[in-house]
Amino acid sequence: MKKILFSISILVTATLVMPGCDKQIDDAYANPNADVKVPIEQLLPGIISSMSGNSAGHGTLNDIRFVGKYVQNFLFCNASGDYDRMSGTRTTSDNAASVWRTHFYDIGQNCVQMIQWGSEEGKWDYVGVGKAIQAWSWLTLTDLHGDVINPAEAFNTSALTFSYVTQDVIYNYVRQLCRESIENLNKTGGAVSSANLALGDAYFYNGDAAKWKKFVYGVMARSFNHLTNKASYNADSVIYYCNLSIAANAENASVKYASTGISGNTNFFGPLRGNFGSVAIGTETAIRQSAFIADLESGLNISFFNVADPRAIYLLRKNTAGTFKGLSPNKGQNVIAANDRPESFFGASQVSNTVNNATPGNDNNCRYLFRNNSETPIITASEIQFMKAEAAYRKGDKTTALAAYTLGISLNIDMLTTTYGTNVPPAEAITPTIKANFLANPAVVPTTAAQLNLSHIMLQKYIALYIHGAIETWVDMRRYHYDDFEAGTDRQVYTGFVVPTGADLYPDNNGKRVYRIRPRYNSEYVWNLNELRRIGADKLDYHTVECWFSQP
Amino acid sequence: MRKILLLILFSGMLVLCSNPIYAQSPVSGIVTGENNSPLSGITVSVKGTSKATKTNESGAYTISASPGQTLVFSSVGFGTREARVGSGSVNVSLSRVNQQMEEVVVVAMDQKRNPKELGFSNQTVTGKEVAETQRENFLNGLQGRVAGLTINSTNGQAGASSSIVLRGFNSLALDNQPLFVIDGAIVDNQTTNETSNSGSGLGLVETSARNVNQTSNRTNDYTNRIADVNPTDIESITVLKGPEATALYGSQASSGAIIITTKRGKNTNGRVVVGYDNAFRWQHLNRYPEVNNDFDAGNNGNSSSVFTYFGPRFSDTTKKFDNAKNFFQEGFSQTHNISVDYGRKNASFRFSGSFFDQSGVIPENTFRKYNLRLSNTTNITKYLTITPAISVIRSQNDKPRRGAGGYLLNLLIWPSDNDVRNYQSSDGGKNPLNFLSPNDDLDNPFFSVYNNRSQDKTDRMISTMGVNIKPTSWLEVAGRFSYDIYRSEGYSFYHPLSSLLTRGLGGSLDNYYKNYTGYNHTITATAKRNFGKFGARAMVGTMWQDYKTEMYSVYGTNLVDSVGSNGQMYKGGSIISNNTFASTISNNLADSGITRATTRIRLNNASRKQEYNYSQLRQLAYFGEVSVNYDNMIFLTYSHRFENSSIFPKDYRKYNYPAASLSVIVSDIFPKIQKGGYVNYLKLRSSIANTARSSSPYANQSVFNTVTSSGGGYAYGFNNNNFYLTPERQKTYEIGTELRLFNNKLNFDFTVYNTLVKDQIAENFRSSYGTGFVLNTINVASTRNKGVEMSLGFTPVVKKDFRWDVKFNFNRMKNKVLTLPANVPEFYVSDTWVYANARGGLVNGGPTTSITGYSYMRNNAGQILINPADGLPVIDATFKVIGDRNPDFTLGTLNSFKYKNFSLNFLWDLKVGGDIFNGTDMYLTVNGKSKKTADRETPRVIEGVLNDGLQNTANPTKNTISVVPYNLQAYYVSRMAEEEFVEKNVNWFRLRDITLTYQFAPDGLKKLRYFKSLGLFVTANDLILITNYTGADPASSSNNASTRGVGGWGFDYGNIATPISVNIGFRAGF
Repeated sequence: MKKILFSISILVTATLVMPGCDKQIDDAYANPNADVKVPIEQLLPGIISSMSGNSAGHGTLNDIRFVGKYVQNFLFCNASGDYDRMSGTRTTSDNAASVWRTHFYDIGQNCVQMIQWGSEEGKWDYVGVGKAIQAWSWLTLTDLHGDVINPAEAFNTSALTFSYVTQDVIYNYVRQLCRESIENLNKTGGAVSSANLALGDAYFYNGDAAKWKKFVYGVMARSFNHLTNKASYNADSVIYYCNLSIAANAENASVKYASTGISGNTNFFGPLRGNFGSVAIGTETAIRQSAFIADLESGLNISFFNVADPRAIYLLRKNTAGTFKGLSPNKGQNVIAANDRPESFFGASQVSNTVNNATPGNDNNCRYLFRNNSETPIITASEIQFMKAEAAYRKGDKTTALAAYTLGISLNIDMLTTTYGTNVPPAEAITPTIKANFLANPAVVPTTAAQLNLSHIMLQKYIALYIHGAIETWVDMRRYHYDDFEAGTDRQVYTGFVVPTGADLYPDNNGKRVYRIRPRYNSEYVWNLNELRRIGADKLDYHTVECWFSQP
Repeated sequence: MRKILLLILFSGMLVLCSNPIYAQSPVSGIVTGENNSPLSGITVSVKGTSKATKTNESGAYTISASPGQTLVFSSVGFGTREARVGSGSVNVSLSRVNQQMEEVVVVAMDQKRNPKELGFSNQTVTGKEVAETQRENFLNGLQGRVAGLTINSTNGQAGASSSIVLRGFNSLALDNQPLFVIDGAIVDNQTTNETSNSGSGLGLVETSARNVNQTSNRTNDYTNRIADVNPTDIESITVLKGPEATALYGSQASSGAIIITTKRGKNTNGRVVVGYDNAFRWQHLNRYPEVNNDFDAGNNGNSSSVFTYFGPRFSDTTKKFDNAKNFFQEGFSQTHNISVDYGRKNASFRFSGSFFDQSGVIPENTFRKYNLRLSNTTNITKYLTITPAISVIRSQNDKPRRGAGGYLLNLLIWPSDNDVRNYQSSDGGKNPLNFLSPNDDLDNPFFSVYNNRSQDKTDRMISTMGVNIKPTSWLEVAGRFSYDIYRSEGYSFYHPLSSLLTRGLGGSLDNYYKNYTGYNHTITATAKRNFGKFGARAMVGTMWQDYKTEMYSVYGTNLVDSVGSNGQMYKGGSIISNNTFASTISNNLADSGITRATTRIRLNNASRKQEYNYSQLRQLAYFGEVSVNYDNMIFLTYSHRFENSSIFPKDYRKYNYPAASLSVIVSDIFPKIQKGGYVNYLKLRSSIANTARSSSPYANQSVFNTVTSSGGGYAYGFNNNNFYLTPERQKTYEIGTELRLFNNKLNFDFTVYNTLVKDQIAENFRSSYGTGFVLNTINVASTRNKGVEMSLGFTPVVKKDFRWDVKFNFNRMKNKVLTLPANVPEFYVSDTWVYANARGGLVNGGPTTSITGYSYMRNNAGQILINPADGLPVIDATFKVIGDRNPDFTLGTLNSFKYKNFSLNFLWDLKVGGDIFNGTDMYLTVNGKSKKTADRETPRVIEGVLNDGLQNTANPTKNTISVVPYNLQAYYVSRMAEEEFVEKNVNWFRLRDITLTYQFAPDGLKKLRYFKSLGLFVTANDLILITNYTGADPASSSNNASTRGVGGWGFDYGNIATPISVNIGFRAGF
């Protein structure tokens, strides 16, 4: 018996030791070799950088290089450019699908984790910011691509395929995220702290949750503003959210850069990163300003006839002749007289048809969005006023529309003079007098509200969003099908805008205009093709299918 | 050879014969079996007394008895014999009775079982058999001896790793090697895996500098660590092939288990019994890839300063050198083993030591190993026994770089009109082939082995403790505790003048250490009870495992300031010679101080400098087994294991699986069938089991990388290390029978098995970004693996002085990928993508052992499409299945002859079928050195149809374009698809091992005073290889044994053949 007891006692002892094993097992779980959890304050900077162009070169700015051609912000320096001809992306290319990557990958799980850990730690401001960025990102994604992956399935790490939903689902989801964002940004106490938030968003709003709320309202306003063609369109909703949103340039949502001389923390559009050099068809990132913007800024557009816009020197490049000229789609710059060819955005003379934009690649020759340290606007106070102006105009409240219109131009001029004045020749800088004169010019700002028309609003918005807002401008243009006329008038909304036709339109388009960008090739066409077939995205002219938002 | 043997023999006898032996008071003698082989473990007792002892390894015993008394010799499995004590020693010989009937098999948890009750197949190989092959890596001695066991050795280098797989490949991405258990304790068999998976795991420094440091396990080899075990310490090896046998051992043993029982000290009645044996081995490399040396360097028939041989034909007067013969050397090795046994009634000890020193057939390739082991068995009380043991092992392997850029490929494409021996310039530097820029030069193979060196040194200690408590007759409590600790240190050194590095790097040095600490214990309690005709046994137990591997590596370049850009080395700004260079670094290659401080980096994880990376697994398991039998004729066993593993997050950490088996002894139930002696034994068995296979630690934790965008911080990398990963689930059933016929002269064992592995982890495949990642890891794939194993043993001849035994081990496997996700068109283990466009890829519905690669574009009728522009084939540049490495069957045949004092054992290893990608030949072809290119001057029209738009019509245009490859090297260089180099159905018939032994009869030894036993042997390894393979050796692997999944076997690239070895030595007992 003694021996049995002895044996049993050994077993019992062994069993008693075991509970300690649970902790030992737990201790051995986490990967000691690399970080599997980091402070959320360290996640937000990377997420914010992905809103414009992150260290890997992905974000809206990357896609704008292509989308900007659809709206003729700029065009390819050589003839036969795909995007000049409103082509979709071809074959195995991921062009114009950088936002797809940033939405799902660069922002993607990082933002999901930030929100999750933020809620666990009571950092509701981070949760609100995370949802704000998600809302903006989903809206940007669907505005570019139309039907996209169902948000209810997205970010499931165990899924093999993903189903797509139509755009209305995304729009509802964006608004839901906006409301959740506001709810969290309204929370105080706990671990909510402006100083702590500033650790993460130093290059955006520097810890100011109130500004983040205005950003969210801006996303809300956009989501309602996009639906002008629908019976359900409600101008009051647009105006309501515009009134809550960014009201001053100091509140502008924009991504800023540390720009310490390394590529990773420098503006994607700056000369250091040299993202405008390639001329290969299909890449065609060597760009020059378009004739459309040049004409609009130099008084050749009938809407602002004979008005030399003082903003031109801020936004555009001159040529050797000292004038502002630009390219026409699919023609390249070679057809322009040498002295009339605009400099590249890096200030390289094109008299000898220089392909390489990066030469001389000197920051001192660059202006506007093209400096190494230029901040990238995401939503501006000016845009908000133009949304309000359009909504009020549609509602019939032309007085409000004119006021917002005027304020929109004024805010844009102020933004240029305060933020983007570097390297503008002092003699050509906008002074308060020049600004006042410009706003007092009846060819720009009608003297009476009754004289205001849609072209005023949309063209001035086009200028105010020049390049940085190309994705939003594309939404606007698609709402007006590029060359719609204002209802009941014989005035084209985008006066002077010529849509490529015939040989200037890409053959695959079958004579149709571009309305969406197909999903990213190396995410979807390779690995999720069945679903693409279901929605018809395997068709060569899928990019010409009109999106839900602009349909009645 | 024979003369040397005889000489040693006679000279030994002359010395020893001068001292005649006289009988002493204690009676001693030798117990032998058939043909005078010594029998150990035979109980010798004095009739009518309680005095008893056992014979030692040499069959010797000593017992005190007076003349006239009777000694009784007995043992399980042998008959009993009595002999009267006379004036001299008492030598008897015993014969085996009823073979196997009384054997005991050691199964999981060091439990001993009667083979009758096992419902699954198992096979046992004696340690003697394996040690007799004289292979330092005992795994290599197992090939052909066990049905369903496959050994794939990397190549014939000294210290090469071998991978072992039981019953084929089940997992696509995880380890398929079995668990090793020594005396009930789990022992590590890692091969250093140098790939760190982008820094998230262990591995060497990653750098893109010509990819020389982390080489994806292709160009450097590290011995698989179970090879540390001294083969002569092994008593027996039991191979548990099916997971049903290992369901108790848990997820680590899902690929089976190798249970090793070591030799233990015996009761020698206080006498010190010493055994010594040695072996001297000569190795000769006799097989090389065939090359064509008829053409000079050049392109398209024109002479040019390149390392491709598409130039003009050499004139007959050109002096050529047999560089291959001049490079390789004769290998030599020696082994010395000593054992000392000492035992008394309640305590016995065994000490063993071994020294192995090898110099391989490649210059500078050496392997040295020391083993010491001490084991003890002590009965503390009647019911408490402890069995501690400790082994200390040191091994050192100096090895050249193989594969791409290694000595062999460089040797093969070395200009045949240049003597490879002139590798040194007058100052000891590199003698470049002057027509090339230094960066594009080729390292002379001699330069390569002398100057691009790597080494690893391992010190290991394995200590085990067994505790057995048997308080009553029906209860037994057993504990097995073990620590397995080792440290490997190694380096990989590249000379500043090596063309593998750009000159600007000035040489490189990669140092690493790896520490392994493994602890595990198993505690079981087993109760047995009989109820009438029913018997029951129940076991419960617990197992704790804690394995930690640490790895630290540093990398540096610019050895002692050498920054030459033009083939010169500098120090302090002035050019130095190689001799000066060599003295400057004083051959202290492992000292990272010889690299410039600013270049020393550690890249395993950039954000955590100066810390080692480590990987740890902890697992707690509980298990139980219940077995009932009816009258020892029908046995039913059920077991269940519960695991709690640190690999998975808390919520998914606990999982469990069952197993059941049935054994029915038909011949006992129906004893009538035994009548007449035709059928002696018939057993039917079946078992079914589930088991789990876990991923490696941390595979489910996505890691953050630093980002350099404004504000810095972190962001996820591309890889989804899926949090929701679960263990792979394996389900196996097997049915088998054991049959003994014709008075036990014929034994037959037959097994059919079928394994389904579900929820297999497909790692790092591309997927929709919808997951939030670019590369995905999910439990998605499934495979089926089934096969037949047969072993047949019979004894054709038994005569008084002559006996002949034959044993066949047959194995046939078939495997198939059942499911792969639709968006994973091909899953491949990237390590295996070694050369050109062929790799170990697999596709849905294909075999798991397939080779995927580029093929020729074909029309619907299967005709090769020819480009109308040049008359050469069109390559289909997509990865398709172009071969299957799995053989149709393998058959090991063991013959054993015994004639008087001679015995002759040999093992033929037959493999039929299975494809090999001959990457070496493709490399030679692309470089104009293959035999394939010999007839290049002959015009030819490639059979096929023109790719002219009509290829899929009823009347395709037949190709009539004549090409002369001599002027069109593209014929070989870019337009021969990889499928051309897959050699189909490669067979081999190999004489693996042959041993001739002469064992002196005890009577003959009487005159040798100190010898209790003496045997002489000659063993030859790999003496004969008959194969249809055109390369050097069909048994080679592109990767070392650390590569997971199916691994790199069947890919031959830059590997030497296994050399022929001849060993001679003697075995003596004192």
